[in-house]
Amino acid sequence: MRILLIEDEVHLREQITQQLQQQNLTVDAASDGEEGLYQGSEYPYDVAIIDLGLPKLSGIDVIKQLRTKGKDFPILILTARGRWQDKVEGLEAGADDYLVKPFHFEELSARINALARRASGWSSSTLTCGPVTLNPTAQEVMCDEKEIDLTAYEYRLLHYLMLHAGEVLSKTVLTDHIYEQDQDRDSNVIEVFIKRLRNKLDPNKTLNPIETLRGRGYRLTLPRDH
Amino acid sequence: MTINLSLSNRLLLAVSLVLTAFLGLSAFSLNNAFQASAESAQRKQLEISKISLLTALEFDEAGRVTLEKTANPKLNTPNSGLYAQVTSGREIVWQSQSMLGLFLALPDHPGGTNEKFSIIQLNDEETLLNLASGIIWENEQGKEFNYTLNIAEDLDTILQQKANFQLSLWYSLGGTGLMLLFAQAFILRWGLRPLHDVAIDLNAIESGDHERLSTNYPKEVNQLTQNINILLDHEHSRRERYKNSLADLAHSLKTPLAVMRGEFDMNHNTSNLRKTAHEQLDRISALVDYQLQRAATEGHSSLQAPVSLGEIIHKILGSLDKVYQSKNIQRQYKIEQDIFIHADEGDMYELLGNLLENAYKYCSEHVSIFISKHDSTIEIHIDDDGNGIPEHAQQDIIKRGKRIDTQAEGQGLGLAIASDIIEAYKGEIHIENSHLGGARFIIYLPKQ
Repeated sequence: MRILLIEDEVHLREQITQQLQQQNLTVDAASDGEEGLYQGSEYPYDVAIIDLGLPKLSGIDVIKQLRTKGKDFPILILTARGRWQDKVEGLEAGADDYLVKPFHFEELSARINALARRASGWSSSTLTCGPVTLNPTAQEVMCDEKEIDLTAYEYRLLHYLMLHAGEVLSKTVLTDHIYEQDQDRDSNVIEVFIKRLRNKLDPNKTLNPIETLRGRGYRLTLPRDH
Repeated sequence: MTINLSLSNRLLLAVSLVLTAFLGLSAFSLNNAFQASAESAQRKQLEISKISLLTALEFDEAGRVTLEKTANPKLNTPNSGLYAQVTSGREIVWQSQSMLGLFLALPDHPGGTNEKFSIIQLNDEETLLNLASGIIWENEQGKEFNYTLNIAEDLDTILQQKANFQLSLWYSLGGTGLMLLFAQAFILRWGLRPLHDVAIDLNAIESGDHERLSTNYPKEVNQLTQNINILLDHEHSRRERYKNSLADLAHSLKTPLAVMRGEFDMNHNTSNLRKTAHEQLDRISALVDYQLQRAATEGHSSLQAPVSLGEIIHKILGSLDKVYQSKNIQRQYKIEQDIFIHADEGDMYELLGNLLENAYKYCSEHVSIFISKHDSTIEIHIDDDGNGIPEHAQQDIIKRGKRIDTQAEGQGLGLAIASDIIEAYKGEIHIENSHLGGARFIIYLPKQ
């Protein structure tokens, strides 16, 4: 899951980035409104975190312009001013939730996960598809009550596949959503990750959790369990 | 460039200009009227002189003319100022004795029985008004003689009269003008005096001698001073709130700071230290939030423009519906038409935002909002079907934020802020049990 973070305060930006990365989320950070708007318009994101008081272009304007460009990923606003008039203005501009500074990181993480789930049609806080359960808060993956040990990128890939269970996802889309913007990418790596995920989730080859659609991409076939 | 004149100077200048124009015009027209009437009187006088002269003149058969008797003594006195001459063609037939020594050819020969007035300049000093009339005399043989009678009177008297009139006109109008100006200056001073007093009054406030403006002013100024007083009161209460919240903030921050310092001094267990630090940071953060909101409260002032409660609630509900989308809340919202209240928009957002968010946060699935309008108050009901608030806690929760430093974040903070705003507007808040099963908040706000 790829997150856009627009925050001008260096310390806060680095803290949030690090903590989100520790949660195995892919994070692109921008330090002003213009840079943030550019990234938000150019790359696919699952959730954006936007501070309202930004230099060059205000958070409200970034949100409005992103929405005008048809970007519909969920947006969480961060604001130091907890006045309701500001919150209402932000939400009316197109944001989906708000968080007043200072906040607990767990709160931020919970809100982001909730927004991502909501956008992809999930209602519970853990994602369950057939025998596989993923808990984004604990970053645990269980299959048939057994904990599965995944590397960071395997986890990111599975998280994204489960969020979009039942949808066909191309290699490019998968690469876009698990790699940060400035990382070296190689779409062939996706094949390797998929293969490893299949082995770890389904060592006996009875489940066939991920199917390959030639030339189109991959699909998680396990049914969503609400 | 604009010249910034004082009010009284403006009025004085305008009045002087108008007065000057008015008096000047009256002088001009009075003078004209006087001159016209003086001239017509002179002409009439000359006509009369002519007629009496004609009756006194004797014409004999040969056409010679003699003056029968002294018709007007002035005609017999040399240089008397009244002169008469009868001519026939270029030949002088008769002239009055007053013309002795004067070489005077009275000029006009209108012919027939016509008359003609003219002004003649005699020598350098004398100006004469001359009446020339044609006379036809028929003797007993039926022979006609044509004469011209010129009778002239000098204009010195009329000029003198005119000069006298102009002089007295000048004095009286000038005097009136000056008097009016003085009166005007006095009226202005007297009329603008209250404004001057207000300025002195305001200075006294600035220097701290008074707190409010006096209410003892004329009606027109009183409206202004009353509004200034309202502003002053509003500003005063806001300053008090700032001061209080700043002092409260500073004091209340000391407790968590003391706790942390103590923990640092005695504790060597990092996990305990972390826990305490987290707790105290939360407390500090809640305190800062609360006191900041309290200081930002505008408070009530009758000068505020009315804001629409319907619109504010509509926007807040729109926002909350979005944020609490996944909770699938069923809400009922009933408002008697639109209701306006004289209040600060930000305060109303804060009040209703906090209360409605609590309802959304603590309900299980139903929220109901009902607003109604009474004569002077607005009544707002916010109900939810959550766990409700136990009766013994209901009073504590709304007893302003005084104990906020001992309360946990959440319901307490939002409610403390809401109660503070309600207090700033001299309203009331009550908590009851709702028919939905949870808590019901009833708020009364004065409309004005």
